[in-house]
Amino acid sequence: MRLLTIELDRPRCEGHGLCEEAAPDLMHLDGNGELVIDVPQVEAGTPEARAAAAAVRVCPVAGLRLA
Amino acid sequence: MSGQEPVARVVVVGNGIAGLTAADALRDAGFDGELTIVGDERHPAYSRPALSKALLRDELDAHELPAPTHGATELLGVAATGVVPQRRVVQVGGEELPYDRLVIASGSRARRLTDDPGEVTLRGLDDAFALRERLATRPSVVVVGGGPLGMEVASGALASGCEVTLVSQGRPLITQLGRHLSDLFTTSALEQGLTLVETGSARLDGPSRVLLADGTALEADLIVTAVGDVPNTEWLAGSGLARCGALEVDHRGLLRPDIAAVGDVAALPTPYGTRRIPLWSSAIDQSKVAAAALIRGEEAPPLSIQPYFWTEGFGLSLKAVGFMPPSGEPEYVDGGPGGPALIRWPGAAAAINYRIPIPRLRRAAAA
Repeated sequence: MRLLTIELDRPRCEGHGLCEEAAPDLMHLDGNGELVIDVPQVEAGTPEARAAAAAVRVCPVAGLRLA
Repeated sequence: MSGQEPVARVVVVGNGIAGLTAADALRDAGFDGELTIVGDERHPAYSRPALSKALLRDELDAHELPAPTHGATELLGVAATGVVPQRRVVQVGGEELPYDRLVIASGSRARRLTDDPGEVTLRGLDDAFALRERLATRPSVVVVGGGPLGMEVASGALASGCEVTLVSQGRPLITQLGRHLSDLFTTSALEQGLTLVETGSARLDGPSRVLLADGTALEADLIVTAVGDVPNTEWLAGSGLARCGALEVDHRGLLRPDIAAVGDVAALPTPYGTRRIPLWSSAIDQSKVAAAALIRGEEAPPLSIQPYFWTEGFGLSLKAVGFMPPSGEPEYVDGGPGGPALIRWPGAAAAINYRIPIPRLRRAAAA
């Protein structure tokens, strides 16, 4: 089992929230529009990992990484 | 594969966000065969919206995307020159690439006012870096085009310390975003020192002169045109795939069962007729749906797009959902005129200098 970490580059985040739309179970924007990573680690190959990858991909400012 | 023939080879033409997402989504749909991406730019896939925003301001890496994980063979810096659907091959640099499924994501290019290769536009990464360098020398600038791109370029040029005139056919942004948002951005732009010239038409007269409808000439060190985009479909001439230069796809993004067209190049069915929706998240949504449809056929869900659009400039940041322009005056859901605000029209909503997750903005539009 390999764990992947969702990393947020906070200064880049513009608060679009497209990532929340792609992976609502893993992250959300709080009341101030700040992104909160609710599930910072996902297991490679699982639906969660695919959702995390989709969230990373959809960010137009590349504020997220999955490593 | 639900009774369909096996899919061993997929070719994706185009390495923008549409091609990249299609490649990812093909893998997500279970395709583990040979995947090839053909991109005419030598750069890895990047974020195009950033080019006229953060990249123009200061952030040199604002366009960079995480490295791809789709494991495709990437042929970059070469253009596809044709498709023969009957033989299922794509022509690339004199070679033929066979495919079982093809994704056309060849994007669009800047519409130009002249045939002069020196006409300055902003569409690709090379354009953006070149424009940054020019702006750093603080030339006087005329931007031709009052759409979102023209406004972003004008804002970036002002922020670089240039004297900037925007030439717009009618009020800036009014065609794209409607009167309310147009007024908001125009007011802010004028306050920040933009010179605005409205004209019925404009044409370039050499590298440093713009002629307006009334015969007036504007001169500047640098003229940038931002007058829309043209889908890249010429390379498909003779393939029978394009109709009058348009790639009209079905509600799963398919031209035929084995060929999808996605992103800025594709015209898709919408509540407002068949049209292109050349926006970041539209490209992503289209690509996911079409990739699944290529692998899984009619089991795959159809496309449902509620466009998401954002722009920034002159101290304003706008996020909007729904088909634009909206009609009539908006209702203020939160905040008020002149400050951060969440506003809505029937079927559309916008956030101005107001941080809000997209799902909530979508709910405001639907309310």
